[in-house]
Amino acid sequence: MNELLLMCMIAGRRAAIPASQVQSVIEIDEITPIPGTPGFVRGLTALRSQALTVIDCPVALGLESSGEVSDQRAAVVDVGGHLYALLVDEAYDVGEARSEATAVPGGFGSGWQHASLGMVETDGGPALVIDVVTLVAGPVAEAA
Amino acid sequence: MDELLADFIAETREMLDASSGEIVAWEANPSDTERLDTIFRFVHTVKGNCGFFDFPRLEKLSHAAEDALSECRAGRRTPDSALVSAVLAIIDRISAMTDAIEAGEEFPEGGDEPLIAALNPQEPDEFVHRRADSEQEDTAASGAISVEIADTSDDTTKSSRANAVQRSIRLPVDLLDEVMKGVSDMVLARNDLARRLRDAGEQPTIDGPFERLSTILADVRSSITRMRMQRLEHLFSSLPRLVRDLSNELGKQVMVDFEGGEVELDREMIEMVRDPLTHIIRNAIDHGIESPGDRLHKGKREIGLMRFSARQAGNQISLVVTDDGRGLDIERIAAKAVSAGIHTKAEVDAMSDRRKQHLIFAPGLSTADQVSSVSGRGVGMDVVRANIEKVGGSIDLTSKPGQGTSFHIKLPLTLSIIAALTVGAGRQRYAIPRSYVEEIVFGSNANVDFAEAGERRLVTFRGKRVPCLSLGAILGIEDNADVIWEERTLVLIRLASDDVFALAVDRVYDHEDVVVKPIAPAVMETRLYAGTTLLDDGRPMMLLDMPSIAATHQLVSERGTTNVVEEEKVEHRRRTVPIMLFAGLDGRRRAARLDLVRRIDTISREAIDIEGNRAQAVIDGAIFSLVGLEFGELPQDRCRLLRLSDGESELVYAVSEVLDASEMEGDIVTVEGDPLIEGVTLIEGQTVPVIDGHALFARHRAPQRLDHPMSCRIPEASEWARTILGPLVEAAGYRIAGERDDSADVAIVFERHEETEQLPAARNVIRLRQEPEAGPEMPDTIYRYDRDSLLAALKQVRLGKMAGGKTA
Repeated sequence: MNELLLMCMIAGRRAAIPASQVQSVIEIDEITPIPGTPGFVRGLTALRSQALTVIDCPVALGLESSGEVSDQRAAVVDVGGHLYALLVDEAYDVGEARSEATAVPGGFGSGWQHASLGMVETDGGPALVIDVVTLVAGPVAEAA
Repeated sequence: MDELLADFIAETREMLDASSGEIVAWEANPSDTERLDTIFRFVHTVKGNCGFFDFPRLEKLSHAAEDALSECRAGRRTPDSALVSAVLAIIDRISAMTDAIEAGEEFPEGGDEPLIAALNPQEPDEFVHRRADSEQEDTAASGAISVEIADTSDDTTKSSRANAVQRSIRLPVDLLDEVMKGVSDMVLARNDLARRLRDAGEQPTIDGPFERLSTILADVRSSITRMRMQRLEHLFSSLPRLVRDLSNELGKQVMVDFEGGEVELDREMIEMVRDPLTHIIRNAIDHGIESPGDRLHKGKREIGLMRFSARQAGNQISLVVTDDGRGLDIERIAAKAVSAGIHTKAEVDAMSDRRKQHLIFAPGLSTADQVSSVSGRGVGMDVVRANIEKVGGSIDLTSKPGQGTSFHIKLPLTLSIIAALTVGAGRQRYAIPRSYVEEIVFGSNANVDFAEAGERRLVTFRGKRVPCLSLGAILGIEDNADVIWEERTLVLIRLASDDVFALAVDRVYDHEDVVVKPIAPAVMETRLYAGTTLLDDGRPMMLLDMPSIAATHQLVSERGTTNVVEEEKVEHRRRTVPIMLFAGLDGRRRAARLDLVRRIDTISREAIDIEGNRAQAVIDGAIFSLVGLEFGELPQDRCRLLRLSDGESELVYAVSEVLDASEMEGDIVTVEGDPLIEGVTLIEGQTVPVIDGHALFARHRAPQRLDHPMSCRIPEASEWARTILGPLVEAAGYRIAGERDDSADVAIVFERHEETEQLPAARNVIRLRQEPEAGPEMPDTIYRYDRDSLLAALKQVRLGKMAGGKTA
């Protein structure tokens, strides 16, 4: 498998987002909060004349929030016609997976397990491949 | 799918829509060759296009129809009802096949031959032969005639080309959206640039081209918007077929009449109103229009008439659908509403006729005694109304017994742009669709009364008691209990169900047209928002979903009605104007616009100087024209004055008492007779004259009041200067310069024979002389009792200063 992946850091862990789904990587400037939404929805940010829903990836994975987000980077993905900005700690280069996505015995931890497609080997070490569709749906499985 | 194939399908669809109306019109008037040509062109095009693809059945069908129609065009056959039905059946079949092709499905085999045979029951075989022969010209029947027909056909083609109004191409909607997005980006960038330019101050070399860019951008934006537009004709053209089929089915005769087909509407909007319109037509033909016998009996024309008229008014399209049937039977509707349990008998009895008519929009009400195949299928007018409101429109009706019913539909020009009111809550802005906004009032308004019932906050306004919610509480950013209601602005929301509630917001910003974009499912789940939009500065803003918010808070009464709403209400949204109420010297109440009043001064009687028509007051060393004296005597000791300003000059208005600051809600009724009164307005039920600031300043144009009045130095040693000259100078609007002034604007000196004294520091000097006659040694001097010349000189200095120059 040599799928291209956007290597990034989410909640201090190496993660990868399939590059085919990433439209761009942007720097979050200002977020308009949306009262009433679940915690993993940080609000809206504008990219040119489009509004992006900002997703706090750690919270969506059931982890601690990434806190203050100004100048933080985000990967822009399109899920079901809606644009999302996935907040990541760091965004590195696009790289190739060196292996098939695999599971590991015992899982990756409940949040990661829920929203990842498995682990791949990359040039920088193992990384979890994020299932974007599940991620933007939020940690509903646990919440419900 | 193959792009070529997609084009074929799209073109076939478009022509189908267009020709189904034509064919009905043609049936009504078979001599109308223009209609015949349109239908002929359609089947001809389909046949021709089939040549590119492998659709033998489509080709066969269209070819057969083409043959039959060309017979008619040649005048060898008169179209009758049977033929029209047969052609319609073929067009339907073509349509169904096209659908199948688009879906990539196989169309069921067989069934074509009877359709083709129906075209010409007398000699079906002849057509089969002819079909085999024809290559290009479709009407190769027999020699002599074929030539004649070929000619006609050529003519038509030519004339149709000449008539081609517009050249057009088909575009994917995605691309259009992309372009629209680009233009929106440009508008945002332009706004950003405009802000920076403003900050940088005026720059003539940049401002001009920037203005031009703005104009071009505005033009481009409007033409891009127009790209989504389509003429209503498009919608209208499919209606005659519908009307024909329905009236045939129900044994009625109905004509259709269109007006305003050239009005343009968003393509998506046209699709959205198609269903509601169809429903209205069904109802009209089923319930409204009587059978031909009934109509004749009532002295009406045998044939019923349905009229569609469209008109554009600003950002709205109004569409009126009228039938000349029997009208709504309000008593029957009312009875139905009672029997369906929607209202009690007492409630219905209390209703006006108009309100009873509106009951047809109530959910669950059907007046159809039996479920026919046409209407009464469970889809009621409530759904029609909901669908129209979903796209930001509204529907109303009028009906006269025995004369017919009209539905008035109002639609926004486009689907994506809606008129919204922007409001603030918790440092954020939100948009409310304008169609829901009934009125805006301040919580501090005297007419607004708050009350509590259990946990529910209520507000009474104009005699109605409605529930009141704070937007902050709805959004979960504040607690209802912490809200200081009197400080909020209330937006009265009227829902489609006629329920009214008040939304308390921090403030109301503006009316704006916003482009609404869909929101992510996770945000949708909050049931608070209907979409998102961008502010001018590029920041996103949420659009509130009022019906959903109301439903979440159980503000919608179950039966879709309400008892808090007054009937037949005529209310205008009023803008309140803050005013100051005061009592004039005669003790009568008057009002001044608060903007006009800069401050209130109290001065001693001595500071006021009145002589003849001249009245002046000195406040803090400045002289003001004094008005308002015509109403009565000034008090003996201390006088209250309103200091009025028009932004440049100031004058003072003598009053006996300052009463209150208030709000003027009603209009100002102009009165004649007193030019200094703008008009009369109603405040707390009493008429109050409002003073006319403009007229006051026009009449008592005070000397320009600068922050620091101009100073004048006079000879301090001279008693004459202090007692005689000083007051004159002050009356002219100058301040007497003291020792601390380094330099005065003007100095007045006595001209002496010998120039011994050093001149005081001043930018201008006026020289006075003792003698009336100026001697040759004293040019440019003024006789010290020549008042006019002295005042003119002082005025000259002031004008010089105002012009910005220093006339040293």
